[in-house]
Amino acid sequence: MTKHALKQTTAPPANGFWGRIAKRSRQCVEARLAELRPSVCLRVSDGAAEFTKRMLVTAFTAVFLATTLCAQSGPDGPDVTSMSVEDLMNLQVTSVSKRAQKVADAAAAVFVITQDDIEHSGARSIPEILRMVPGLEVARIDENKWAIASRGFNGRFDDKLLVLIDGRSVYTPLFSGVYWDVEDVPLEDIDRIEVIRGPGATLWGANAVNGVINIITKTAKATQGGFIKVEGGDTQLTADSARYGGEIGTKGSYRIYGKYFDWKPSTDMSNQQASDGWHQARGGFRSDWALSQADTLTVQGDVYSSRDGETITLPMLAAPYSSTFGNTGAYSGGNILGHWTHSSSNNSSFSLQGYFDRTNFSDNSLFVDHESVFDIDFQHDFHLGQANEIVWGAGYRSIQDRNLPSFTVAVTPNSAQYNQFSAFVQDEITLLDQRLRVTVGSKFEHNAFTGFEFEPNFRALGNISKNQSIWFAVSRAVRTPALTEEGLRLNDAVIPPGAPPFNSPLPVIEAIFGSNQFQSEDLIAYEVGYRVQATSSFSADIAAFYNNYTNLRTAEPGTPFVEGSPVPTDVVVPFVALNKMSGGTYGIEPYFDWKALSKWKLFGSYSYLRMKIHKNADSLDPTADLPNGENPEHQFYFRSALDLPWHIEQNLIVRYVDQLPSYAIGGYTSLDGGIHWKPKSNIEFSFDGENWLNHRHIEFIPDFINTQPTVVGRSFHGGITWSFGKRQ
Amino acid sequence: MRILRLIAACLLCASLALPGHAQTANSSDSSEYLIKAGFTYNFAKLMQWPASTFPQPDSPIVIGILGTDPFGNTLDTVLAGKKVNARSFVVKHLKWGTDIKGCNILYVSTSEAAHLDEIFRMVKGLPILTIGQMPDFAKRGGIINFIIEDDKVRFEVNVEAAKQADINISSRLLTLAKIIPQTGSDGSKTP
Repeated sequence: MTKHALKQTTAPPANGFWGRIAKRSRQCVEARLAELRPSVCLRVSDGAAEFTKRMLVTAFTAVFLATTLCAQSGPDGPDVTSMSVEDLMNLQVTSVSKRAQKVADAAAAVFVITQDDIEHSGARSIPEILRMVPGLEVARIDENKWAIASRGFNGRFDDKLLVLIDGRSVYTPLFSGVYWDVEDVPLEDIDRIEVIRGPGATLWGANAVNGVINIITKTAKATQGGFIKVEGGDTQLTADSARYGGEIGTKGSYRIYGKYFDWKPSTDMSNQQASDGWHQARGGFRSDWALSQADTLTVQGDVYSSRDGETITLPMLAAPYSSTFGNTGAYSGGNILGHWTHSSSNNSSFSLQGYFDRTNFSDNSLFVDHESVFDIDFQHDFHLGQANEIVWGAGYRSIQDRNLPSFTVAVTPNSAQYNQFSAFVQDEITLLDQRLRVTVGSKFEHNAFTGFEFEPNFRALGNISKNQSIWFAVSRAVRTPALTEEGLRLNDAVIPPGAPPFNSPLPVIEAIFGSNQFQSEDLIAYEVGYRVQATSSFSADIAAFYNNYTNLRTAEPGTPFVEGSPVPTDVVVPFVALNKMSGGTYGIEPYFDWKALSKWKLFGSYSYLRMKIHKNADSLDPTADLPNGENPEHQFYFRSALDLPWHIEQNLIVRYVDQLPSYAIGGYTSLDGGIHWKPKSNIEFSFDGENWLNHRHIEFIPDFINTQPTVVGRSFHGGITWSFGKRQ
Repeated sequence: MRILRLIAACLLCASLALPGHAQTANSSDSSEYLIKAGFTYNFAKLMQWPASTFPQPDSPIVIGILGTDPFGNTLDTVLAGKKVNARSFVVKHLKWGTDIKGCNILYVSTSEAAHLDEIFRMVKGLPILTIGQMPDFAKRGGIINFIIEDDKVRFEVNVEAAKQADINISSRLLTLAKIIPQTGSDGSKTP
């Protein structure tokens, strides 16, 4: 079998590289969709527009009336000048201004999710929270798997987004993506989530290519006292959490938490129960110490254990050459982190952080893997003269990976240790009487696969007036190879003997291989943005970008070979990871925050994304689909949060996600929302629903591994939270 | 996209129908800066400037905000029409380099962190109540520094700096404050 023959006879194209696997699942899905569509999708969506409209009008009228009523009946908030200092000291700061504060000074597309936003979203998991962020694509694959990306290239194994929890990077070196089913924190403990769309490589380093998500938890001091929360619903059988925080002497404080949840399996597109149920137990602590006036220390850690499942189709070397079954796996792990900050008096501070993170995947017929990451970072901030604020730092990261191969997936070497060194420097220069801030800096990194990488950026922010600013940025970011891109072998499909297109007397394995020729993917990003705080109750932000990528991953056909092991003897048709794709993406992401009334907050965002990625002329990758049709072009999110009398709070969310043409997934609208009632300051009842319109849909088709996507339908959950002790 | 248009229309209706309410919205905001504006008002009430500071019994208290104003217009709104004894408030927005000596209260924005030592030198010996919100502000010579603890606004007071400015702080305020000893970076400010 020659290369030429291969090119001509390879089965119809799938998308890009790892997505070849998806080809088959997509064909299945399309077939199933075709069955399903007349019964669910089409019928619902025909009526859906009309129904959605009517629902919206009704909902808005309700919100409208309620607002008018409560605006007339309720007191118009606190008059702070009539309050005593003691009273003022007891007022809790709401985080409305935090977003404005944080965001106003950044020459980047920053979006901050506050605890308040989380409470109003009715979300039960971090992925659900992230749906509100403009410029992010969040799609549920099944009950426990998600595809999340910033500014395109979405996939279950998206590799261009860096996620940190309290400074701990949680992307897996295995595929440079995030296990969204593994990473979690009690949502109540989140102080804020900062999302930066666009490259954050200068400060955060490689893989912060298209975005950085920074999940920051509250200090232990801010979570004194305790709470117990019990939740349940029609899809989530139970979700319970408890936390207690106290003081240690006069200088320290701590909190401990525990969390457990159990999700019922959902249904697949033919209304059969899938195997995607999962449960997880998690516990952890955080302690913060004021060692002296100048020194603070944080020590925190988590442990978790879980079992989840999926319906999966895997190839086999014996008839019927593929098998679809419910695959379950266990995972467990833990991490411990220490962070020390010292501020000296002359506008200078430094911090030292170290952590160890361990993740184990076991008892899984697909892949067994143990990863350990040890990371240490140093950072120093200081002022140089009057105009320069300099930040520099250095870091070391050690990755250890040990895996047990299966017939489908193997990573060589199956036990290895990798080192990564990095350093960065950045100067923020204040010019023109504070009206212009220029940031220049670069990250320098050395990794085991591609050696030295250089990631500079230039940013400028101008204050046009007191409440308006514009910014622009040019930056370079790279995505360094993941372990799989170097040493993977993934058996994508087995073509039975004698079957087309090969008509080979032996079974043929189509396999994807990593390669030591694989280089880093490159991005040069151009960004511009505008912000306005029009009044104290209305602010708007708009960001636009053009990203130019080179060296994106393709799957280039290699020379077929015969192998005698495993038995029976078979022919392997290899596709090898190389960098032969490039192109541009552009988009625009506006959002607004409007406190229409003291008790009525509105938030809305829109995301537009256009991708024009193409294979290079010398690419022989036989797959025709590109990432272009795998991301929604339009997305829309709107939320209304209304405080009603009698301590009732009502939330309404309308989301629209455009179609994914490559996957033949139609656009969908979801109406979510619920009611929270706080009869006393320490008790809260909540009732939330997702997808009230019951527009049953699938949101994504996974690449790489042939996991069956499941349907998102209407679901409800309710809960009780009881707080005790000092304060929640 | 039809949904977009519909929502836009609803929003427009809402904004047209409720102009009066919309404008009062910020006065009930319990955001950080609203609370800090309340504190500022209370500080003015509970402080005593030297008799020579104000030419007339009804001379206004001049609050200067130096650098990027974190209050938006909250401080202006909260203090509009308010009086302490017979004195009303005047809020001025100042840039680095303009004269800060005419203020009675000087709010130093975090954007001026680089100029702190210079600012303290400039106001040294003058009856100006300096307020900031950055680590070490009080320690380095500022009189009051806002901090956030447990999502609540707290404040530190450098009693020594207040004495030097000849500003008398009521004992009631001091019992609620965190008292910070002054340990200036160059040592020169500590007597």
